[in-house]
Amino acid sequence: MAAPFPYTHYACPCSSSSGPVISKRASQLEPDEDQETFNPHDPRAAYSLYPLDHLLFCDECSQIRCPKCVNDEIINWFCPSCLFEVPSSAVRSENNRCSRNCYNCPSCSSPLHVTQVEKQDDGMLKPGDGRTGDEAYLLFCQYCDWTTLDIGVQFSRPTKITEQLNKARKARYTVQQPDSEDADKTVSKQLRNHDDAFDRLSVFYTEQMDETGESGNSWGSAYGSPANLARIMSLYGGLTHGALKKSREKPQPMREAAGEEEGLATYSPSDQDMDEETLQKMQTRGWDETASEEQALSTPANYGARFKDELWPAATTLRTKRGKRCRTCRQFIIRPEPKSGSARYRIRIIAHNNIPRLSLRPLHPIGPVQNPSFVMKSDHAYKDPILQPLSAQQFVLTLRNPIFETVKISLATPATTPGRVASRVTILCPSFEIGPAGDVWDEALSSSTSTIRPSDGGRSAAMASLTGTAEGEKQPEAGKIWEKTRNSTSVILEIVPGSLRPTSSIGLRDDEVKETVEEAEDDDVLEIPIYVRAEWTVDVHGEKGGEKEPKELGYWCVLGVGRIAA
Amino acid sequence: MSRPAPGNRRSTKSEYIETDTGNKISRKAHIEGKPNIMLGGRTVIMAGVTMRGDLQRKQERPADGSESAAADKVSSTAITIGRGTIISTNTTIRPPMRSSRGSGPTFYPLRIGDNVFVGPGSHISALSVSSNVHVGAGCVLAPFSIVKEHCRILPGTVVPPAMVVPPGSVVAGKPGRVVGEVGEGWGQGGGGEGEEWVEGGDLRALVRKVR
Repeated sequence: MAAPFPYTHYACPCSSSSGPVISKRASQLEPDEDQETFNPHDPRAAYSLYPLDHLLFCDECSQIRCPKCVNDEIINWFCPSCLFEVPSSAVRSENNRCSRNCYNCPSCSSPLHVTQVEKQDDGMLKPGDGRTGDEAYLLFCQYCDWTTLDIGVQFSRPTKITEQLNKARKARYTVQQPDSEDADKTVSKQLRNHDDAFDRLSVFYTEQMDETGESGNSWGSAYGSPANLARIMSLYGGLTHGALKKSREKPQPMREAAGEEEGLATYSPSDQDMDEETLQKMQTRGWDETASEEQALSTPANYGARFKDELWPAATTLRTKRGKRCRTCRQFIIRPEPKSGSARYRIRIIAHNNIPRLSLRPLHPIGPVQNPSFVMKSDHAYKDPILQPLSAQQFVLTLRNPIFETVKISLATPATTPGRVASRVTILCPSFEIGPAGDVWDEALSSSTSTIRPSDGGRSAAMASLTGTAEGEKQPEAGKIWEKTRNSTSVILEIVPGSLRPTSSIGLRDDEVKETVEEAEDDDVLEIPIYVRAEWTVDVHGEKGGEKEPKELGYWCVLGVGRIAA
Repeated sequence: MSRPAPGNRRSTKSEYIETDTGNKISRKAHIEGKPNIMLGGRTVIMAGVTMRGDLQRKQERPADGSESAAADKVSSTAITIGRGTIISTNTTIRPPMRSSRGSGPTFYPLRIGDNVFVGPGSHISALSVSSNVHVGAGCVLAPFSIVKEHCRILPGTVVPPAMVVPPGSVVAGKPGRVVGEVGEGWGQGGGGEGEEWVEGGDLRALVRKVR
């Protein structure tokens, strides 16, 4: 999901790469002085830049918070298919999967459907009056036509599919018991089932724990008990004489699982004919009938599956609803409503409502401004804007203020952009004020009147851009803001994109140049780092007239302008 | 600033018919069964859109038991679209159909919520698409799929039949899978004067631009 130009990404201050950036690129001629410049081409920059809708804000810390500097807290688990909420106690026992009738196709992952088997061809004609005797159901994928008949399973009832499936699976993998000669084989067959092997292993190790006198109440919490922890500490930590003696007194060490009864899966030569069989099957059935890795990993039941006819339906994995806490002050900044079907929030403090946001557009747009996700006609294909190198272009940088106070803004940008291609950037008016945000009604009522310069109404702007100079056209001027509405201010940004090729003066080292051109793939993307500093005052006790408390917020932004033409 | 009108600049007739509630319906849209289609207002139906309002649930079915009794209560509306929704060019909207035993094919009403953007060349046959959903270009929402609020369907996705997409998901692929979650700020902003519109946000400004 590459963002369309022009975009604005915001750097979260939590990542240290927004601080010192050590760049060894020769093109970065200008050494950074007191404050390090954010380099959007730095490989680490990708980890701290976010689009605005992914950023949160902690109002206690007055800081931007990104997904990396919040702690997730699971509010509840739910099945995405039936939207049924699963109690946390049941989540683990059900392996984080829906235990109701939700299954996914093991072949293509789409949801499966309970359908009646149409084996009695005239089933359509019969009135369904309570003849439940020979009714059969199956799970059916409407996307790829996979059915449980492919694995030879059908159900007698359309409900309690999980129960019936488990029964069918058990029946399938233990059916060899009576007719196979040696019991080993059945066990090894069973061990293909991972759950089974795991159960055996866990039983074995629990027994071992009990025998050796460990008080581990279950396999999971072996390290949980203080006694065990103390023992481990004395093993690895500084050993006092007493502790050393004590640890030597410990009786025989624990034994490992040593047999299939205990859950150990070993290779035995007798498996060879099974392998032969598999090979034979692969040869005759071909590639299409073999299970892909993805299919085999769809559910633990399929881990050993080699062929498509061994694939078992995968119970739908649960999803979570998560609240998010600030990592520093632990307050909730995102708290969704616990109901699984709803998309509302109880608490939602997002960066969008708390930091001034930047947007960029060309001063003289060549074509209609396009957002690729809002292309409404398929023949209007989106193209990345192409910038001509070494020719000055002007852009309008608009800052919008979501805060209910007047905000003083200072912008700072390096004179030349960091990275291999150095473009010159000038903000004609780097410090200004933005008016406070009001509620929506104010905006609606005043938007037509309070605009100092009405945003270019269609015709005149079109004319102006056609002719280049209209008499009424305002000229961008240094130190002046371009336009101002109630809660937004626009300034002009002058950009001289650098050339992808070095200028002709160093043309003699041609071969070396070629090498560096291929250096990085997105070097031609013109991205401008801008440091935004916002200052405002808030009333301390909420009421007007009280003492004012100054507030300040600074963050790096990266404006993606376009690609520089080669 | 308006988008140049497609093709030749024809006569005085504008491309869109605007209704009292602000719906804009292209003259080049193919709409069947108009009485069975409800538009919430400020909704755009663009050129080449096919809407099959004629595929409504049959009222005069022979009553054969309990299931049809429930069906009889359902109104004859086949397609409901909320406010501020944009259906882009060459999209097909077709109520989903299921053939149940004994009664032949039955169509189910299709619901689309508010501020839904449907990209060009899509095929919508879902049971419902909730509000603030962004459907990219060339998507297929197969019959009986349900897309909940604040979802983003990336271009070229095929949402498999009867899939339920939980709120706030990003869906991609053929067949469609949930590949991620939208940010918490999904759909915030936009819609304001002069502000660029955002996916999943208020589409009023965009609707106003369509002409």
